[in-house]
Amino acid sequence: MVLAELLPNINELFEWKGLVGPHTWYEFNKVSLMAFVSTIICIALFWIGGTRRRLVPSGVQNVAEAGYLAVEDNIALAAMGEEGRKWTPFFATMFFWIFFINIWSVVPFVQFPATSRFAIPLFLALVSWLTFIIAGFVYQGPKYFFSNINPPGVPGPMKIIVIPIEFFSKYLVRPFSLAVRLFANMTAGHVLLAIFAIMTNELAISRNSGTFQLIFAPLPFLGLIAFTAFELLVAVLQAFIFTILTAVYINESAHAEH
Amino acid sequence: MRIRRLLLGALLVVGSVAALPTPAHAAGAKDHAKKLYACVQKAVEEHPEAKKGEGEEFENALEDCKKAASLLIPALPEILWGGLAFVIVLIVLTKFAFPALKKGLKAREDKIREDLEAASRAREEAEAESAQYRSAIGDARSEANTILEEARADAERVRRDVVARAESEAAEIRERAQEDIRLAQERAMADLRAQVADLSIGLAEKVVERNLDRDTQRALIDSYIDSVGSGSR
Repeated sequence: MVLAELLPNINELFEWKGLVGPHTWYEFNKVSLMAFVSTIICIALFWIGGTRRRLVPSGVQNVAEAGYLAVEDNIALAAMGEEGRKWTPFFATMFFWIFFINIWSVVPFVQFPATSRFAIPLFLALVSWLTFIIAGFVYQGPKYFFSNINPPGVPGPMKIIVIPIEFFSKYLVRPFSLAVRLFANMTAGHVLLAIFAIMTNELAISRNSGTFQLIFAPLPFLGLIAFTAFELLVAVLQAFIFTILTAVYINESAHAEH
Repeated sequence: MRIRRLLLGALLVVGSVAALPTPAHAAGAKDHAKKLYACVQKAVEEHPEAKKGEGEEFENALEDCKKAASLLIPALPEILWGGLAFVIVLIVLTKFAFPALKKGLKAREDKIREDLEAASRAREEAEAESAQYRSAIGDARSEANTILEEARADAERVRRDVVARAESEAAEIRERAQEDIRLAQERAMADLRAQVADLSIGLAEKVVERNLDRDTQRALIDSYIDSVGSGSR
């Protein structure tokens, strides 16, 4: 309601002017800039951390090594077993890039998660989708396509129902659900923060209807602080969920169901 | 330090609040007006009846102009740039940064393993050496005991020798002393005999005066002394 009052439409919260080439196919806006800055942060972190190689790690090296090993232990090995070890670089890249692009939602003066633009999660989901399909063919050969949607132990007539469902859920719904999950969480978080910020602004600063409103100003402000902390958690959690689901899908592709 | 961190945190929160309303004007009102204008223009062109001021379809089209475009429609430039950014990070990290990082981790793992192995080797060596020392100490102790025993036996032998020698010396000394005593006694007896004889002769001469000649007197006295001497033994 507050948003409806203040904004002509919801897209005002999410659409950015093109910094370079506005309204062209190569328009470079704030979202693209965030993506590239996240890329630079990721590269800097792991480049410095990876090439320093002190025997007793400290600072950036410590963060890089701990981060990499955390992804290896909690995502790669947890979802794929020993086979996951060689996938760790892919998962670590995915996790940290999503994390850094999510975390903009609580970075002061930026406060916008690039993943709340559907383009980014959609691209990531396509990467995940292509990866698990290609991995399936690499690990299992051509039989992957059918073995993946034909669960063993299903009686003949049931297959008529099960196979289309499996096909639909595995090849069509998965990329969409991956993309929407990340997008919706980050969008909701951003809208929530915006609402509390606008409410605080209205009550504490604009005060169109008098000083009485000032009494209630701390409430949305406290909410804003709480939800900023919550968004921090969501940023990590969504990066983790996206990456571990990718790992689970790849693992499923790697092994035919028995 | 903690207070400084807290202050910094608080500053960040306040800063965030101050900066938060900005996304609300992200695309800018001008942009929105432009879009709205274009939409209305399109609606007017598509519905010629609108110029007469009527038509439900035109009204619906105008209503649609006010609605937000779906958030689920991805922006192509964002897919391109975002995708490019991801591909770059994927290539750089998986080709260069992660292999370097893994190398470092592997090197550390190897170093730790080597150190542990070296430590366990060193401990084994130390244990072996200590066992060797212990046995050496045992040997030394038994040797010391043997030496002590021998020394004791030697001392005993020496003592016995010394005692025996001392005893024999003492016996010799005693014998010699007895011999000396005997000789002294004999000498004394001879002296005594001579004096007694002289005294007796003198005495007898005085008693008898010239009744007897001197030689007779002498023989008489000697025989007397002999009888006395044998009688006193």
